[in-house]
Amino acid sequence: MKAIINTPEGTRDRLFAECAERRQVQERLIRLFRRRGYQEVSTPDTEFYDVFVQSGSAIPQERMLKVADPSGRICVMRPDCTTPVARVAATKLRSVPLPQRLYYDQTVYRASPAHNGTSREIPQCGAEFIGARGMKADMEIIATAVDALRSCGAVRFHVEIGHAGFFRALAARLGAGEEQIEEMRALIEGKNFAALNAALAPYDGDPAAVGLRQLSRLFGGVEVLDEAEALAGRTEAIDGLRTLWEELNAAGYGPYLRFDLGMVHQMEYYTGLVFRGYMEGAGEAVLSGGRYDRLVGVFGRDAQATGFMVDVDAVARTLPPATLPRLRCVVHFEPGCLGQAIEAVDSRPAGTCELSPCRTLESTLNLARDKGVHTVLICDRDGEREVEV
Amino acid sequence: MNGTERMRIAITKGRLLDQSIALFKRMGLDCGPVEDPGRRLIHALPNYPLDAVLAKAPDVITYVEHGVCDLGIVGKDTILEKGGAFYEVLDLGFGRCRFALAVKEGVDFFGTYRTRRVASKYPDVTHEFFARKGMDVEVVKIEGSVELAPILGLADAIVDIVETGATLRANGLIPIETVAEVSARLIVNTASMKLYKNQITDFLSRCETELGRSGV
Repeated sequence: MKAIINTPEGTRDRLFAECAERRQVQERLIRLFRRRGYQEVSTPDTEFYDVFVQSGSAIPQERMLKVADPSGRICVMRPDCTTPVARVAATKLRSVPLPQRLYYDQTVYRASPAHNGTSREIPQCGAEFIGARGMKADMEIIATAVDALRSCGAVRFHVEIGHAGFFRALAARLGAGEEQIEEMRALIEGKNFAALNAALAPYDGDPAAVGLRQLSRLFGGVEVLDEAEALAGRTEAIDGLRTLWEELNAAGYGPYLRFDLGMVHQMEYYTGLVFRGYMEGAGEAVLSGGRYDRLVGVFGRDAQATGFMVDVDAVARTLPPATLPRLRCVVHFEPGCLGQAIEAVDSRPAGTCELSPCRTLESTLNLARDKGVHTVLICDRDGEREVEV
Repeated sequence: MNGTERMRIAITKGRLLDQSIALFKRMGLDCGPVEDPGRRLIHALPNYPLDAVLAKAPDVITYVEHGVCDLGIVGKDTILEKGGAFYEVLDLGFGRCRFALAVKEGVDFFGTYRTRRVASKYPDVTHEFFARKGMDVEVVKIEGSVELAPILGLADAIVDIVETGATLRANGLIPIETVAEVSARLIVNTASMKLYKNQITDFLSRCETELGRSGV
């Protein structure tokens, strides 16, 4: 039988530079998370399907990769990291005082339609701030999100903050039915300007309708908050965002922050503030996060929480390609000289020098020629000497 | 935009392209290079920072979704069938037609307990339409002239794009229900919208001004 030599669609082998680029992003993020007091947790690659149904995860069933455990119960390959971390926080860490800062570095799996060029295996690094109550926690997590992208070497990027509270306040004033509100929400989220106008036509003249009509355009710098206030007067949501902005701006984060009051996601586990990170060169958000005050409670411990994750591959693709070390020297050692030879390899920059497994010097010289290496270091009883090839 | 200061727009080839060019010209954009495309597929507009890419309808969505094009012009029919994550910001008003459910004249499509079979080039739109009705149907995908399927006895009905209804009538079919209204839409990549807000809003407001003026 002919051996199968391809990998399944949506998966891939990573070689050399691609590994180095991914590793670099992961290392930089992990270094930041540790410095900010986050501790690593790791959860299983497969979990019971029910865990993600209970959590109210927005990932539709058909996007989850299913497997069965030995007893026949349905499991899924981890489609999301926040839910398992919330489960751990509510159970294994039940008696640990809050707040707890946790980070993870693991892969999520998502089934995707055939031939659309997306990966089924998505490495993510994320931070979860469990027991994070109030504004200061929001400030800290957004600052950490900005620093996360900055530490990866991003230049033109920003973190965009949204809050569904403004939309809800306007929708409540409008007094529309739940179905119409859901329709408007979808149109605002999709920035479907024309269809939104049509949907709001029956409410013409209502000041709340004017506000809603503008909502999908209310994105950009801090001036968005002024525009929102001009449209709808003071609301709790905007007051909150302004406090957040003032503190973050004073700390130097202002230039990296944007707002989008039309970021009104469908019911999922996020409960208030949400944010997304965009980087030049990436066609979609590379970072996403927000507040999920009820998720940990689903698993039995009431704890407000916030957090975010970084799409490692998406960030890595926007960065300059990694340069790999080049092999410059092969070490040939005579019997009894292994220790000396290993020392010679270890004393040189990683990846530039390796041992020759050949028995005779002549074969080592041939090996060096094959690999395009110009220097052979010979270790024998007389010491070491270099030969040019 | 991938580091350059020019935006890139993917336009559906064919009729939508002609009408897009007409709109752009009314907006004051010099469309010379696009009007005489030759074999080239990408064209820089001389007096506006926009490069036009000509593509087949589903590819417009693919390019915009992946962010290699910032903007796209594509029919709502393709959007409904293919879906995807992008902002659908404007109804450009041209390319108007509708998706309709059509049956052979005299057939009572709904008045039976038998599971109906429906032929369409747009299986997802068809599934979605009947799912909303809570009705189970068998959907058969047909690549060419869908009108043949009921005539040959393969299907009880079709879901297809209807403009004047002339083709349907010529084949003894009549539309019995509108599935969705279709027209050309301007779509925007979600990240581009955020990263290049000023450039994109400038283009959008020029489009809107012109559409408002021509009363579409």
